Amino acid sequence: MSFIHNGVEIEDTFAEGFSMWGSRLIITASTQKWAEIAATTMTGFATSVIACDCEAGIESVIEPDDSPDGRPGIAVMVYGFSRGKLSSSMLNRLGQCVLTCPTTAVYNGLPEESADEMLDIGKSIRFFGDGYQVKMRMGDGWQQRQRFWRIPVMQGEFLIEEKIGAKKAVAGGNFLVMGDTEENTLKAAEASIEAIKKVPHVVTPFPGGLCRSGSKVGSTYAFLKASTNTPFCPSIKNSFKDSKIPVDVNSVIEVVLNGLDEPSVKRAMGLGIDAATKVDGVKSITAVNFEGKLGKFKMSLRESLEGV
Amino acid sequence: MIKRIVLTPRGFSSIPIEADVISPDVFAGKTLQEIRNLPIYYGNEEIEMKEYIHAQGKVADDPENQLIVIDGDARHIKQIGTKMTAGRIVVQGWAGMHLGAQMSGGDITVEGNCLDWAGAEMKGGLIRILGDAGNLLGAAYRGSSEGMTGGCIAVTGSVGSEMGSFMRRGMIVVLGDTGDFTGVHMNGGEIFIFGKTGKRVGAQAKGNGGFIACFGGVEDMLPTYRLDTTYTPVFMRLYLKELYEKLGLSVATQFIDTPMKRYRGDLAVSGNAEILIA
Repeated sequence: MSFIHNGVEIEDTFAEGFSMWGSRLIITASTQKWAEIAATTMTGFATSVIACDCEAGIESVIEPDDSPDGRPGIAVMVYGFSRGKLSSSMLNRLGQCVLTCPTTAVYNGLPEESADEMLDIGKSIRFFGDGYQVKMRMGDGWQQRQRFWRIPVMQGEFLIEEKIGAKKAVAGGNFLVMGDTEENTLKAAEASIEAIKKVPHVVTPFPGGLCRSGSKVGSTYAFLKASTNTPFCPSIKNSFKDSKIPVDVNSVIEVVLNGLDEPSVKRAMGLGIDAATKVDGVKSITAVNFEGKLGKFKMSLRESLEGV
Repeated sequence: MIKRIVLTPRGFSSIPIEADVISPDVFAGKTLQEIRNLPIYYGNEEIEMKEYIHAQGKVADDPENQLIVIDGDARHIKQIGTKMTAGRIVVQGWAGMHLGAQMSGGDITVEGNCLDWAGAEMKGGLIRILGDAGNLLGAAYRGSSEGMTGGCIAVTGSVGSEMGSFMRRGMIVVLGDTGDFTGVHMNGGEIFIFGKTGKRVGAQAKGNGGFIACFGGVEDMLPTYRLDTTYTPVFMRLYLKELYEKLGLSVATQFIDTPMKRYRGDLAVSGNAEILIA
């Protein structure tokens, strides 16, 4: 079963999402350049929990007028399989990639009223101050109560909010862009990413938001737990007997999304698919699922496009 | 819906009046007649409020919706808004001693000057004094080990001595000058002074995250404070932004990214309080 959207065939299927714990942080720095360096470094090697300790990505650019300290900022999101894993990944990454980065400061990007849990991230990092850290209090008795830690570092001082919000989130949102040439498929997938960037609380953890080597569970080799998604590899479409590649398709790119809630992921999928279908050469869009065996979220492509 | 009561002092008295009943918590839910009959002290004599203060207006059912306006000179009236938890008081003139002492919520605005002990041992809420404030603003009462533990006091003019003594948490902002012993025995909280800071600032302060930020110079520094460095702390941006956005103090924005000298002390008591001087 399929339907047509902007003249492109969309398979009437669903992306299968699963639960992860997600957090949102705001990293600021003296310039946009340093905020980006810190955010990019912190979210590096965090594409998939298949082989990474967490999944992470840059959510959005925060303009100085909207950032907590009035400096340029970047919002990043980190996802882990449990609160503990999320917490340890954030702690390691903040400690090695943001604390070390000149001029940065870190603020909670998921307010307590929206979070399921507040993680003691700044409270743990404070020990780096070796006894010279200073607890900073704001708002007691007249504004919203806030707590930070000021940690002396060689460049000056590192400021981090005491607690970072975390909530049960949705990972594994996805769709596959199938095009006639590698060039057109990449162009369409890039258009998807630009559209997805407009949706708050969603990240695409793969390089540039795109995964050109989607995987399937298992392999012909016993030692390998995941291998190339053979049904969706155009270069073997006539060699692999269960290939799902249409005749006129010669390239496939997967867009993978994580978000703080299901509606946000579905909305991002809808906008991404819509943008991709407007690019010449896109022949078909589908999604990866495991027939409901992997996760509890079934995000239909048809429903996601209804919100566009 | 906000209900407004106007209190008009019947002239000035050289004998002080103690009127801790002037509070939204006390007024709310009463009839106007009951409010007029509330007990106050004229010297050591207990009298009914109506003898010295005329009350008219509407009474709210709960303190949150009660506005009390004091229309006239109230410098002889002590303890206005003492221990209040909610609502609003506006004094359209001077206010007497102990204004808003030990209050935990709501807000008070004084359009004139305010005498000593305003906001003493305050726990929460907001006091705005558009004129000058007396001594011991936000201080601890004698014998007490904790002064302010929350809330904010903002003074447009200058302040007397011993402001913020034994301060534990909360914020005091002064656009004018301060007297001697600002933040004496301070053990937390934040003080911002945009005028000149008086002598012996931070004497015996222990720290606990507390700091005094001086943007208009300091008369002199105690030798028991050690100069660590000159730097531009990021955390100061958060406070200065808050002063501008929440209190409308545009002067704060002039000091964003201003390098500050960081002094740490008071070493006489092994303290780690900070005095930051722009």
